Amino acid sequence: MFFHYIDLSWRSLKRTPLVSALMVMAIAIGIGITMTSLSVYHMMSMDPIPHKSDQLFAVQLNTTDDGNEWWTSDNVPLQLTYKDAMYLHNAETPVRKTASIRTAFTVHMNNQDVKPFLSSVRAAGQDFFTMFDQHFIYGSPWSLAQEKAADAVVVINEETNNKLFGGTNSVGKQIYLDDSIFTVVGVTKQWQIHTKYYDLNNGSFNAPEPIFIPLTLWEPMQLVSRGNTNGWKHENVTTFEGQLQSEMFWVQFWAELPTENDVKQYHDFLFSYLTEQGTKGRYTREKPEFNLQDVNEWMEYNKVVSEDNKILVGLSFMFLAVCLANILGLLLGKFIRRAPEIGVRRALGANKRQIFLQHLVEVSVLGLLGGVIGIGIAQLGLWGVRVTSSQYADLAGMDLTMVLTAPAIAIGACIIAGLYPAWLVCKTQPAIYLKTQ
Amino acid sequence: MLSMKNISKVYQTEKVQTHALRDFNLEVKEGEFIAVTGPSGSGKTTFLNIAGMLEPFSGGEFMLDNVNVGSLSDNERADLRNQKIGFIFQGFNLIPDLSLYENIEVPLRYRGIKAAERKLRIEECLEKVGLASRAKHLPQQLSGGQQQRVAIARALAGKPRFLLADEPTGNLDSLMARQVMELLENINSEGSTIIMVTHDQELARRAPRNIQVVDGQLADFTLYQNKSSDSVAERVQQSMAEV
Ligand SMILES: Nc1ncnc2c1ncn2[C@@H]1O[C@H](COP(=O)(O)OP(=O)(O)OP(=O)(O)O)[C@@H](O)[C@H]1O
Ligand SMILES: [Mg+2]
Repeated sequence: MFFHYIDLSWRSLKRTPLVSALMVMAIAIGIGITMTSLSVYHMMSMDPIPHKSDQLFAVQLNTTDDGNEWWTSDNVPLQLTYKDAMYLHNAETPVRKTASIRTAFTVHMNNQDVKPFLSSVRAAGQDFFTMFDQHFIYGSPWSLAQEKAADAVVVINEETNNKLFGGTNSVGKQIYLDDSIFTVVGVTKQWQIHTKYYDLNNGSFNAPEPIFIPLTLWEPMQLVSRGNTNGWKHENVTTFEGQLQSEMFWVQFWAELPTENDVKQYHDFLFSYLTEQGTKGRYTREKPEFNLQDVNEWMEYNKVVSEDNKILVGLSFMFLAVCLANILGLLLGKFIRRAPEIGVRRALGANKRQIFLQHLVEVSVLGLLGGVIGIGIAQLGLWGVRVTSSQYADLAGMDLTMVLTAPAIAIGACIIAGLYPAWLVCKTQPAIYLKTQ
Repeated sequence: MLSMKNISKVYQTEKVQTHALRDFNLEVKEGEFIAVTGPSGSGKTTFLNIAGMLEPFSGGEFMLDNVNVGSLSDNERADLRNQKIGFIFQGFNLIPDLSLYENIEVPLRYRGIKAAERKLRIEECLEKVGLASRAKHLPQQLSGGQQQRVAIARALAGKPRFLLADEPTGNLDSLMARQVMELLENINSEGSTIIMVTHDQELARRAPRNIQVVDGQLADFTLYQNKSSDSVAERVQQSMAEV
């Protein structure tokens, strides 16, 4: 019977091509706009590392004085001071952890073949790659020994490797960062994340750094941060050494805590560290304040999906509702004009349920058509987002979930719009239309 | 099988109340073939619609196969209709989008008959009404008489136990009308109970039992002959004058 209903629906749509086209277009436009905003929202809020997002924790320590305010919801600064970050980085805790800082270099090969280019570079610990699930095409992360020795080693990503070495295995080869020679130890597969969740300071949707070097090089090379540096009290910082010792915040810190027990132990560890710092009189604060937030909490806390984005999604759904109201009107007219036929069907043995189903199938077919065309419109909309906004460029796409969601929403919406008209036709008295032709 | 006691039907339209049926009493036994005659507007179609449970009635008691129709839910009525009743409507009421074949298929589908069996029955019935070659045509491609024959085929295909026919021969020439009458007589002899409204006195006389609806009331022909002929004749004239 279901396929019969689909057949009937198709004929019914063909009988009134104009009204059908109007309804399909109304749904398609509504769905197109909804899916455009929903796709961006979906990409923004998508868990970037689903299988271990609950094991990776961003660490925040509040080393400001009591009463100091910050723009976070709980007044705790987002980043760490260098000295705290390095203490945690080097501490003998049985977990993977890494401090990291964003910097930048001019990359070149000291020859004419490759044009020098400016690239952002992340200085991090070797745990970074394992923690954030980076895969290597060639080589591996640098070793702990290399890190401890502050060797000039580098991990580059696929794209950089293509640019510098034509995609060949470059492990052991050398590149120049500014005027220093670095040896390539690994090439990572292109990192496909839409949200740069491990460092949300300079735009949540920026691409990850294409080049990584050991953080231990920071001091010998006297590197400069290219991320955000936030101070909160007056400090007279004039030297490199002074910056390392300052109370300014400019380092990101993450720990991988696979079990609840790990979380608890790390929590205790941070607690005692801060207590000790407090008693040393580094800052005035009654009791230690710090946060351990997993990836999704961290993204929420940093408002990766802004209120504006949420409002946009809300508005687009309202627009869909307006489209549906129009469809409801058109369906009402169409179905009521069909009442005589329904009278005949009822007289010939159809019960209300069958009539109701027939009409719901018809609106579902409408929804399916509208949804499919809506995907096309959404693609157009997303293309528009991509060309007008470089910030959202990587986000403006539809993954399979979204492609499947579109017809589902369209069909659901059409069924909602069709419920009342379908109910109205199925409750008409069969006899009314039978006396006259 | 069918029993109506004091059935009344009132149509309420804005200012006017129409008593389409009043004190309508009728007993029909299984296997009967009844011809219903009566002036236009006397309530024949209304009676058929109520008998087929397509319309609610305003008062009285209606039993169908010992089931009190007044107490049934809409779904139960739909089920009964589906299982037992076939219709030939006064206005044919073919579904314009469906081919002849598909029109005849409609009641069979709702009854859950399998495709192969449907095909067999539809072809057989189209053959009976002489339209086998036109199975794929749409109703609007047919003449009125041909459409009427499709409507008859649609009712026959369901092999209903109880067939309600509203002027099934109204648009047919007398030859075709007699053929249709034969078809009805055939399925009656196979056990179907038939109530047929007709204006054709000759056809009516072929039916074993005749009843007359006058001004919403039933005049059973047998009764009519016993009663003082005056009153009924008067009523007939009266209602004719009203039309
Ligand atoms: N839906 C309705 N609303 C109001 N009045 C109605 C309705 N249906 C029928 N009537 C009235 O009820 C009376 C009986 O109508 P019905 O259709 O039963 O007559 P009929 O005997 O079938 O006539 P005909 O031979 O012309 O088909 C008529 O006066 C008609 O105007
Ligand atoms: Mg009539």
